Amino acid sequence: MITLGSYLTLSGIIFSIGLVGVMTSRNVLKVLLSLELLLAASNVSFVAFSKFNGDYAGQLIVFFVILVAAAEVAIGLAIIVLMYRRLSTIQADELRTMKW
Amino acid sequence: MSPFFFYSFATILILASLAVVLARNPLYNVLALVVAIFSLSCLFVLLEAFFVGMILLLVYAGAVLVFFLFVVMCLNLNTVSLASDAQRRFRWLGTVVGLMFASSFCLAFKSFIKAQTMEASTIRGTIETIGKILFTDYLLPFELTSLLLLIAIFGIVSLAQGALSTGKNVENS
Repeated sequence: MITLGSYLTLSGIIFSIGLVGVMTSRNVLKVLLSLELLLAASNVSFVAFSKFNGDYAGQLIVFFVILVAAAEVAIGLAIIVLMYRRLSTIQADELRTMKW
Repeated sequence: MSPFFFYSFATILILASLAVVLARNPLYNVLALVVAIFSLSCLFVLLEAFFVGMILLLVYAGAVLVFFLFVVMCLNLNTVSLASDAQRRFRWLGTVVGLMFASSFCLAFKSFIKAQTMEASTIRGTIETIGKILFTDYLLPFELTSLLLLIAIFGIVSLAQGALSTGKNVENS
């Protein structure tokens, strides 16, 4: 029997994996990918709550989250490309100066 | 039938997201995230959220992750740097914090589920129902997202312009 708890536990596991990825990876691209995992985990719990509460609001919020994530990825990747052009690396450790 | 699909897609999702975090090659990270998003949208279909599942597949796997792949291939990131001692300690610390987070999550959900057992409702998130709500009750937020995308475009254009002007400076000097 699949309950709301199964979906929420799955969401928690994915969120934890993404959190470990954000905290441990040095690669800026990998940090951005792990952020996508965090968003995906929250989407799972939104849709599960929407299904089990009988309310469409959760699915609409997921729609908006996808839009915001698309904008975030576009900006983030632009910054990564600029960083690679200036520093020839995308390791987060190399970002030491506050102003170029 | 439904539990079998849930557990198989959940297993694929967890394995793929582990690969996103653990794989060394950035190309494999991105491809693993594509697999994760695919199984996620299958889970959404199991929850009868058809519209959101398809949007996730089209926008995320189709557009956003292909954009990621494009950038990874442009940047030519073949070199893998070995982690120093300080980095390894930090990695260990991050993993411990993540595990603590996961266990607290599981405890919280367990107590929540004991408190109330909800039955799945019969709502179906088809294009018709979602569209009706999106263009009536949620019209203002929907229009505001267009403003958000416009601001994102402004940001990217200004970043690209800065890159072009500095490139000219490098050429001049």
